[in-house]
Amino acid sequence: MAKKKVDFDKVKKDVKKTISQITEVSEEELKEDADFTNELGIDSMMALEMVAAIEKKYKIVIPEEDIPNIRSLKNIYSILEKNLKK
Amino acid sequence: MKELKKRVAVVTGGSRGIGRACCAAFAREGADVAFTYNKSAENANTLLKELKKYNVRAKAIKADVRDYNECQSVIKKTLNSFSKIDILINNAGIVKDKALFMMKPDEWHDVVDTNLNGTFNMTRAVITLFLKQKSGCIINMSSVSGIAGIARQTNYSASKAGIIGFSRSLAKEVASYNIRVNVICPGYIETDMVNSLNANIKKSIKESIPVKRLGRADEVAQLCVFLAMDKSSYITGEAIRIDGGLAA
Repeated sequence: MAKKKVDFDKVKKDVKKTISQITEVSEEELKEDADFTNELGIDSMMALEMVAAIEKKYKIVIPEEDIPNIRSLKNIYSILEKNLKK
Repeated sequence: MKELKKRVAVVTGGSRGIGRACCAAFAREGADVAFTYNKSAENANTLLKELKKYNVRAKAIKADVRDYNECQSVIKKTLNSFSKIDILINNAGIVKDKALFMMKPDEWHDVVDTNLNGTFNMTRAVITLFLKQKSGCIINMSSVSGIAGIARQTNYSASKAGIIGFSRSLAKEVASYNIRVNVICPGYIETDMVNSLNANIKKSIKESIPVKRLGRADEVAQLCVFLAMDKSSYITGEAIRIDGGLAA
């Protein structure tokens, strides 16, 4: 059976919404390149919350070595893209 | 009712002494136990048989806690066998007592690497899991030597004091994730470590302890079990002495 193609634009939109809910930073403020800690004032521990929420939603496991690289929404997209392609 | 039924505990340095008593005490309370050993495969096999008598699942894993990759592998192997981990007991430790002016750098590094860095390695390997599951209990074995200081134990005292600092800091860092981190500071306990001392030294040690006897490994294990139970749910970042009043 052919693997279902992932609509990555929709994934991005959903992820942004989820991250906004977790971090309590509005979707407008949550720019792709904005640094979570330095620009948005998000606690570094929140990365875990984000990972846990994404893993649950997309039924994937994000490798532990990728977690320290999560510093912006863009990083999350690229990690997610890599994992959803597997 | 066994209070730790369906919990999974990982105990480092489980094949002898306090670690062995901890494995037995956790199994007695119904927990599945994975323990590490470094050298004593025979002791590990004997313990495995003993633990299975309590109708729990048990697993022995050969690992050197000084090696971070091996610690990661301990966590993976435990998860593969038991699907989850609730409790980590960082117990593996060594002594290489010597007056500082006689101590070789290797003797310093071996003790600090095993006792303190080993605690970091195992805790680091499990902490993401605990944070994600929003629960976990970490118990680190320090010593009265980490509180009071004992002559000819600069390496050991430094490593054990380091464990207390590490644990207090981590306790605050992860408390909101329902993860508790506590420390046990045993005094002189009847283990191979203390039994290897000559009779005169043992006699003078006993005289220096207010209760006039050495502690037993199972007494330390009972404290460890208590700290893993929900009964101690409000205790975190604490270092508890169990030393017969030695450092009171």
